[in-house]
Amino acid sequence: MTTFHLQVVTPDGCAFDGQAERVVCRSIAGDICILARHTDFCTALGMGEAHIVDAEGNRRRAACMGGLLSVVNGEAHLIATTWEWAEQIDQARAEASKKRAEEILRQKNLDNREYELAQARLKRALVRTSVR
Amino acid sequence: MAGSMKNIKLRIKSVQSTMQITKAMELVASSKMRRAKERVEQSRPYFHVLHDSLVQICAAHQDMRSPYLKKREGGRTLLVVIAGDRGLAGGYNSNLLKLADAQPEVVCVLPIGKRAVEHYQRRGANLLSQEYAQAADMSVGDCFELSRLVAASFLKGDYDAVKLCYTQFTSMMTQTAQAISILPVDIQPTDEQKNAARRSIMLYEPSGEEVFDSIIPEYIAGMVYGALCESIASELAARRTAMDAATKNAGEMIEHLNLYYNRARQAAITQEITEIVAGAEH
Repeated sequence: MTTFHLQVVTPDGCAFDGQAERVVCRSIAGDICILARHTDFCTALGMGEAHIVDAEGNRRRAACMGGLLSVVNGEAHLIATTWEWAEQIDQARAEASKKRAEEILRQKNLDNREYELAQARLKRALVRTSVR
Repeated sequence: MAGSMKNIKLRIKSVQSTMQITKAMELVASSKMRRAKERVEQSRPYFHVLHDSLVQICAAHQDMRSPYLKKREGGRTLLVVIAGDRGLAGGYNSNLLKLADAQPEVVCVLPIGKRAVEHYQRRGANLLSQEYAQAADMSVGDCFELSRLVAASFLKGDYDAVKLCYTQFTSMMTQTAQAISILPVDIQPTDEQKNAARRSIMLYEPSGEEVFDSIIPEYIAGMVYGALCESIASELAARRTAMDAATKNAGEMIEHLNLYYNRARQAAITQEITEIVAGAEH
């Protein structure tokens, strides 16, 4: 299949730079898939699983949270706030974080901010545990 | 005489051990400095692209009415202050806090770094959060959390503007304290960019405005993170310079003390000889 140039950039550096056949990720409006020869495009990313199929046809999964996806002149840039390859995710830590967030959410006397923080933590943990 | 010799010897020893400490601090600061610079460089492409995209969206949508862009009437300001965690860095902390205190109409403060937190606690200022007492340990994730907090309370209307006080790293010798405005966002695309945007057929999904609004918190996080890295680099540079000066001063002091010590020793010997000679003559 035809491939296109894809770059995955995070604040910690570059996570992927090379030819890809397809990239799937979750935007704020739902899951999207970018193939070669896509029109110029820009969207903000939500939280969810993403995967890249590279030029050799290998499928690599990752947890992707927040950021921006843009395609300009056939070149795709995925600017992710967090991008963790499936094999790099510490499942035990994600599980523990999920449990801790659930415990906090079970308490009744939370103020708004604590509630939001705990919920955001739970969401992140759920995304991480779902990518296996 | 013997007493003063002993005193001088003790002082030399104490100055020498101080010098060892300042020397070590200088070395630590310069090695950390390199890492701080690398951190800035690694994160730069990410925020660069974010900024470019925001400018592009702005250029393509002239009539955008994002709440983040709208200038408000009042002047109630939230001040994000980034200072150091420790002292012994020359004028680093005091310059920054002086600048922060000079900002008008500050209703709320978000201090980052132990020195800033302590400063505002002492003054009884209204603090948004005290969780960021360790500037050096802050990760990108912390910056995102912080920016989400700031953006949410800005939208709620708790204040009309958000400003950031940090120290700009110009070079090893000069670091300047600065105050910049974060919110409302000030993005002015040039005419060239506007024309380019008119010609392009960029597809925004779900819409330019929605994309813009959801990127803004990340953009703020980028500004805060950038400022934080700059501040940390500045702090280390300031400490390095201060410690370098301290080491030099200690060296000079030891030289002087050595001179006094030798003089005192010579005086003691001369006196002893005089006494012996005087005793032999009788």
